[in-house]
Amino acid sequence: MRLGFCRLVKVFFSSLFLQTSWSFFSMQSMGFLVTLMSGVRKDQHADIREAHKGFFNTHPYMASYIVGATLRAHDEGKTPVNDIQRFIAIAQTSFASAGDLLFWRTVRPALLLLATILAVKIGIWGSLVFLVCYNVMHLYHRIRGIQDGYARGPNVIYVIKSARFTVVRRVFETIGALMCGLLCALVSLQTHALLIIPIAALILILMIKRLSSVIITIAIMLIMIIMLLV
Amino acid sequence: MIIALLCITGALILLDKYAFGEFGISQPLIAGTILGALFGNLDAGIFIGAMLQLIFLAGLPIGREIPPDGQSGGIIGVGSYLLLRISNAEGHALLVAILFALAGALIGGQLEIVTRRFNEKMYRRFLKTGEHLVRCHLLGTLTAFIRGLCVMLPFFALAYYITIPPALPTMSRSLLMTISISVGCANGLYLFFKKSKIIYIVVGVLCGLVSVVL
Repeated sequence: MRLGFCRLVKVFFSSLFLQTSWSFFSMQSMGFLVTLMSGVRKDQHADIREAHKGFFNTHPYMASYIVGATLRAHDEGKTPVNDIQRFIAIAQTSFASAGDLLFWRTVRPALLLLATILAVKIGIWGSLVFLVCYNVMHLYHRIRGIQDGYARGPNVIYVIKSARFTVVRRVFETIGALMCGLLCALVSLQTHALLIIPIAALILILMIKRLSSVIITIAIMLIMIIMLLV
Repeated sequence: MIIALLCITGALILLDKYAFGEFGISQPLIAGTILGALFGNLDAGIFIGAMLQLIFLAGLPIGREIPPDGQSGGIIGVGSYLLLRISNAEGHALLVAILFALAGALIGGQLEIVTRRFNEKMYRRFLKTGEHLVRCHLLGTLTAFIRGLCVMLPFFALAYYITIPPALPTMSRSLLMTISISVGCANGLYLFFKKSKIIYIVVGVLCGLVSVVL
């Protein structure tokens, strides 16, 4: 059996719903099962459901790599179910941390900073730049992940060390740092400009102290109210 | 009518957060642009979306952590501003819209926990019967949509019906920018500050200052 175009499209479309039924108990388990089942024959459904109904959680864009590799293992039928489950258990944590670092901590905030600066300066183009750049990268991982997972099987885990993760992350860290400095291009020199330094320092301290984001949001509300009253 | 339209559009955009795709359209900047374009005030949509984006930049949904729902906050902020502007001055509308956005983000985060607990019940139902996997799974889309409606409707209704007393303080765009840029800088430094990247931050600051002066 091979990963044909129709099968790839089906699995890709199902993977877009991976987090739909996210819960604290099983996390993405139902999404993972539905995605897997969209890529196998009907007579395999019961076996797959039985084998993979447990806990599953990884980065949503990275799940494609695991889905591809798991599909191949089931197609070949040589790997024992226990070994497939072990691979999934290891791969989900590795891809979760790689995906979180790459997308949530680096690519998305860097592109959003760039887009925000552009949006304030030139309007709608900022939003379009974000949508195009972000989705090219995100869809690349979703589609290529299924293909690579299927082609490499369990060895797909080594993709984490490839340029598409390491180099891209380094590039976007640089873009993020540059955009962070460039934020001051949005400052109006007429009023309040110098207040940026103490407010930014205060919020940064709260973040470094690892206070919960709820407390930081409440602190921002209080700062806003105090500034209005003063 | 406009409240219903805003709620439905907002809840549909919010599906992007978990229920479908995660293409980034629920980010405050993009959602603000879409709502502004659809409801006739593109400039305000982009501006408020951009400011809220800076505030919610570092809310990272890593592991089991559920940060305040910046996406709901963005939609509530822009939608409320559009509704408040019908019968209020800009400064008042801006102040209340931003406060609504921050409160909406906090409430949205709590409602997300409720939604996830409901999804857990669906998972247990699937385990019990062994059938209806797709149905139990896709029901999550409906609960996510309903969550969107529940978090937005009270804010939009309030924004549509209240008239803010003129005696209350107003928020200017420059003050909001100051606060948002401060929080954005803090978020950016928290995410990107490394010894090896200091040079890029300094270059960015210099370029930014040059562009301000010119």
